[in-house]
Amino acid sequence: MNQLFNILSAQREYLDPGSGSMIIQMVIAAVLGLGVAIRVFWKNIKGFFNRNKQAEIELDPTAIDETDESETRE
Amino acid sequence: MQENVRASFRDPSGFMFKHKGVFYRQINQAYKDDYDLLMSSGLYEQLSKSKTLLAHEEQDLALAPKPEAAYKVIKPRQLGFISYPYEWCFNQYKDAAILTLAIARRALEFGMSLKDASAYNIQFLEGRPVFIDTLSFERYQEGSPWVAYRQFCQHFLAPLALMAKKDIRLLGLMRQYIDGIPLDLAAALLPGSTKMNFGLASHIHLHARSQQKYADREVSQSEVKGKISKEAQLALLDSLLNTVRGLKVKTITTEWADYYQDNNYTQSSFEAKRALVSDFIRQVNPKTVWDLGANTGEFSRCASDLDIPTVAFDIDPGAVQQNYAVVKEGKEKFMLPLVMDLTNPSPAIGWHNEERDSMRERGPVDLVMALALIHHMAIANNVPLREVARSFADFGEYLIIEFVPKQDSQVERLLSSRLDIFPDYNPEGFRQAFSEYYSILDEKPVQGSARTMYLLKRK
Repeated sequence: MNQLFNILSAQREYLDPGSGSMIIQMVIAAVLGLGVAIRVFWKNIKGFFNRNKQAEIELDPTAIDETDESETRE
Repeated sequence: MQENVRASFRDPSGFMFKHKGVFYRQINQAYKDDYDLLMSSGLYEQLSKSKTLLAHEEQDLALAPKPEAAYKVIKPRQLGFISYPYEWCFNQYKDAAILTLAIARRALEFGMSLKDASAYNIQFLEGRPVFIDTLSFERYQEGSPWVAYRQFCQHFLAPLALMAKKDIRLLGLMRQYIDGIPLDLAAALLPGSTKMNFGLASHIHLHARSQQKYADREVSQSEVKGKISKEAQLALLDSLLNTVRGLKVKTITTEWADYYQDNNYTQSSFEAKRALVSDFIRQVNPKTVWDLGANTGEFSRCASDLDIPTVAFDIDPGAVQQNYAVVKEGKEKFMLPLVMDLTNPSPAIGWHNEERDSMRERGPVDLVMALALIHHMAIANNVPLREVARSFADFGEYLIIEFVPKQDSQVERLLSSRLDIFPDYNPEGFRQAFSEYYSILDEKPVQGSARTMYLLKRK
């Protein structure tokens, strides 16, 4: 992470945030996308060996009719 | 007579206008393809059914103020009070962020992209956040990045992170920066420990660095026009979602949140005061109510429980947060809790001071309530009673106001640390000051205290 900070550090000029935002988005998305791919890969391998086990039901965290019911009460 | 609504003047896809007191939206030819896709893809239907996107009806095209550009005229469901992000409590803000991401994600599944992630596109309707901008969707191009990424980080992630990790009062920065908090500022203000949080490190700290790095450079088109797979974009949205979900404010125990456990009321006088307020509300029979200094909304509910749209303002984000929790828990539809400092209420901001209305411009309402508030205005803030009357009269036609005299322990506490320079702060002085702007319709003592409740009508 620190290395990334160093790569990206630069002097501050007037902001044209558009291109910087797009570029970092692509970097982050690539990292995250790779993570997803690895997870899917392992899942497939595990799935191969655990065929009889019921597939884990994944809840969609972004169900559109839900707005974070669980976390309002502090 | 049609007038354009100044909040939507930037968008070439269309604009809002008002006709005979009703809000409409003109959709321009330029947005035709995207609008048709929104309506035909099933996305509109799903979002509007779940009340996460404001529903609309198509109208006669003859209504269009600029017919040469018009493709459609739609009438969105009408909203009551328009609130702004800098008036939301933390959890309202967080719910607005989660909804925006959920809609962006759902749009992708329908082959569309959310191109605008402005916090001003969220309003609270019937106690829940709703996305109000029908023109924010465009056809998804395979491989394209999320164009609203920067905007989401500035409008949602930065203020939420600053409130959760630094200080709840940094919400006020949203008033200063109408296009969201600059990420270099957010990065500078956030504690160093947030660099250990993957989401905040990447979406704020690295994001800010990247903006600075490329700010003064010619960036070749190919560098920016890289490709992001749909899966990677979904992963990006999920990462933002997890980051937002992980942000929490500690139980806010600010000065007012515990007020009702520690004040001048016994349970029976509390009930008596409630009955008194309810009685006055029924006499007025208002269509809209503002409760000023509403705390957690105990007495605002005298109005909202009668299905009267009520905005409950309080200066204390902790109290507003508690009120919002009750709204969510009870699925209350008529209560809108908001953070507002009445000694410095929201100003008009934006281009030509016309993009976001001041608090005053969003009134007047039928009934204003100001219970146990006057001593904070008059004594803690040195506002002369006459000035308080002038301001409240501007907010609404009727006023229910509780006068809290000097012998009340709350006032004694305010006066204990300062010189009493308020010789006119007494029932006679109150009546005299308020009589300039109001007629007194009714007055009753508040049982179990030295206070008096007044029902006033503007002259």
